[in-house]
Amino acid sequence: MRKTAFYPRLAAQNIRRNKQFYFPFLLTCITTTALFYILCFLTFNQGMNVMYGGSILQSLLGLGCVVIALFSTVFLFYTNSFLMKRRQKELGLYNILGMGKSHIIRFLFFETLFSFLISLLLGLALGILFSKLMLLLLCRLVSFGVPFGFELSTQGLIYSSALFSGIFLLILLSNFLRIQLSKPIELLQGGNVGEREPKTKWLPAILGLLSLAGGYWLALTTEDPVQAMALFFVAVLLVIIGTYLLFTASSIAILKGLKGRAGYYYKTRHFIPVSGMIYRMKQNAVGLANICILVTMVLVMVSGTICLYLGAEDSLSTRFPREITLSVGNPTGNARQVLTEAAGQAVAGSGLEMENIQDYLSLGLYCTRQGDAFTILNPNESDFIYTVFLSASEYEGLSGQSASLTAGEALGLVNMQPLGESFSFLNKEYKIVRRLQDFSATRQVSLATRDFCLFVVTDQAFAEILDDISERRDSPVWHLAFDIEGSPEQKLACRQAVDDAIAKALNQGAEHNSGSYDYARIESRESNRQETYALYGGFLFLGLFLGLVFLIATVLIIYYKQLSEGYEDKERFEIMQKVGLSRREIKQAIHSQILIVFFLPLAMAVIHIAFAFKMITKLLLLLNLSNTALFAYCTLGTIALFALIYGLVYILTARVYYKLVS
Amino acid sequence: MTLLLEVKNLKKIYATRFGNVQVQALANVNFSAEAGEYIAIMGESGSGKTTLLNILASLDKPTGGEVLLDGQSTFQIPEGRLAAFRRDKLGFVFQDFNLLDTFSLKDNILLPLVLSGMEYKEMLGRLGPIAQKLGLTDILEKFPYEVSGGQKQRCAVARALITSPRLILADEPTGALDSHSADGLLALFREINAAGQTVLMVTHSVKAASNAGRVLFLRDGEIFHQLYRGRRSNEEMFGLISDTLTAMATGGERHA
Repeated sequence: MRKTAFYPRLAAQNIRRNKQFYFPFLLTCITTTALFYILCFLTFNQGMNVMYGGSILQSLLGLGCVVIALFSTVFLFYTNSFLMKRRQKELGLYNILGMGKSHIIRFLFFETLFSFLISLLLGLALGILFSKLMLLLLCRLVSFGVPFGFELSTQGLIYSSALFSGIFLLILLSNFLRIQLSKPIELLQGGNVGEREPKTKWLPAILGLLSLAGGYWLALTTEDPVQAMALFFVAVLLVIIGTYLLFTASSIAILKGLKGRAGYYYKTRHFIPVSGMIYRMKQNAVGLANICILVTMVLVMVSGTICLYLGAEDSLSTRFPREITLSVGNPTGNARQVLTEAAGQAVAGSGLEMENIQDYLSLGLYCTRQGDAFTILNPNESDFIYTVFLSASEYEGLSGQSASLTAGEALGLVNMQPLGESFSFLNKEYKIVRRLQDFSATRQVSLATRDFCLFVVTDQAFAEILDDISERRDSPVWHLAFDIEGSPEQKLACRQAVDDAIAKALNQGAEHNSGSYDYARIESRESNRQETYALYGGFLFLGLFLGLVFLIATVLIIYYKQLSEGYEDKERFEIMQKVGLSRREIKQAIHSQILIVFFLPLAMAVIHIAFAFKMITKLLLLLNLSNTALFAYCTLGTIALFALIYGLVYILTARVYYKLVS
Repeated sequence: MTLLLEVKNLKKIYATRFGNVQVQALANVNFSAEAGEYIAIMGESGSGKTTLLNILASLDKPTGGEVLLDGQSTFQIPEGRLAAFRRDKLGFVFQDFNLLDTFSLKDNILLPLVLSGMEYKEMLGRLGPIAQKLGLTDILEKFPYEVSGGQKQRCAVARALITSPRLILADEPTGALDSHSADGLLALFREINAAGQTVLMVTHSVKAASNAGRVLFLRDGEIFHQLYRGRRSNEEMFGLISDTLTAMATGGERHA
């Protein structure tokens, strides 16, 4: 054997011999490399750039790349430190058998090099293999046409190689440092340092409960969507802090409390689990808290994105009650007629038909309210109430119901604190004769904005209001909204035709026209649909993708946990058997401990989600999604699926654990 | 005196995984012990001491022969009741103490009682006098890693005694102790034996064995020789045992 080949050989042999630890580590490296490559591939895919909404999607995916890169670094680092801890004894033995630290470093170098090469090559191969499949999946989700051909992404290859070279370099350095700083006898003793019973830390225990309660309270009491958006991250932060403290301090406080109650503790069923759990929680609290937070993240992300995607139609029809909405600012003279005709002709010209026409003029203002008095707000002030005025005839035209108002009377619709019998606006007093319950034309505004009012006043009063505000920049807006039936292409063509017709309408034959307008805006549900699907489909894809990555991480953390605990518990259960514990009793004791350790994070995550549910529905409201039932189904479905996978992992790892212990 | 333990024609053959090579750990062991006896079993490494002890403890099954405790064959006890049997009838003291790190000394001592489902008050009633006798009262709340080896071994003895077992099995109990602690432990064994407790100790320490009432010598899986104390002092026993070991090592004839 040539001397030069000794270290590589030893390294290869070490990897093989430690396959129980190395295999999952390599598998994780390979998977993360593949996933990172695929995401890069999609981000830099040329074909997608040209798609409608493609740029939104690609920036989303780019964000995903960054998240995965950060996550891979942290996670692989963590996994490696676990691996090294387990191998300390082996390395110490080498050291005592006469290998200097420099020799150990040499074969560690080759081990790292080999694992790097294996994971990069296999990872990239796997990534390239599945990249097309993922592209197909993504295109389907965002309803893009599928680009043909098979391609390699040079950027993907470069970035993946660079990222994972960096990560492995870091790992190598940390391993060197670990060896350099350690003494052989420490290495030999490895994990066998005498375990001290943890002390109860009351302050963190209480802080944890308070922090968690604070987060939950925020999540439950926040009513306003915009506020929810701002407070969501505060709540998340509180819950994360709470979770860590709860697992690290509160759990030990609770267990010690149980231990203090002799009547409870000195029972066959409680004696071994309670004392065992105290130590397990000491060693694993942070790991369990990590799992809990990861699981919560996966569940929220996946259920949220699925819900958004499935609810895309819902939110589109909320945001755009009609297929095409034409909004024209301050139409004068016969502008309304001319534009209506022009739009009608354009639609007819595209071979389609206008349906469900909504045609009304309204005045929308930002106001403040003091008691029942409304004042117009200056721009830049934030605490506003969006107030819409409709004339009686517009209301009748829209709703088909008679307003039957006389001077000084009004109809009102308010979504905040109720009004009294009357309200005042611009020094005029209006008596509210009837309250409206729901008014379809106003639905879109009422969802997203916090405070919203609608008043129907007589034609006379409406004209006076317009006069009174003529000095200001606010002006009435005329809306013409209608549905059309046809293929997406027809709808898009029709929108374009209407757009063109409106632009020309007032210029052609100007001598017949006395009208003018400030601006005209056309919104089409169809063109937004494509953007919405690009966005939500991208969200969903990323949600599933990151969900998968986090799931892999969770599974791996659990696997390593079972493994290391199996080694530690082996001795303990041998002793118990000698002292007089039957095999069956040992199995039961093991079972109850693993079960708790395993399902505690999942249970906690489900509790987190239950509390977060209300707040998340508020956030979805901001995205025009009001379908709470859909979100509930998505959440339950995701939890069920996740629990299933989690259960499978449990069965697999519990088997490894039993094998180690018995 | 009543017959407590009978060992008849005990054989143990270990086979390698594929059955090619067979190792005979116990060839044919016969002996019996009366209640209140203090027996030491001596032998070199590989003489079958530990195998014998494991079989007596019903942790292992022999290839042939039987072990009777109070006239009952231990191998006919079903697996489900075996643990309870071990817990109630036998007490163990090991070379490396085998205390659980996660339990305080008190909890380690109480472990067998908790497993038997005893009431906490009754446990405390039993713990008090034993802890007093073994000098553990002040350190009951400490953890194994906080006390000395001698204290750990006394704790292990307390754990063995607390169930008032018929028989105490000790496996090299002085093996991991310094001479001072070892002397203390041997004195303790004499004391509990004087109080009527039957003790069976496996050792290769001549000093430990010289405390016993009877010494059995094991060689190549058979009882090679045995010595009775009679009225001899510990020092005389020490000399006799040494001579016997020398004779065994130089290839003397079988006496037993």
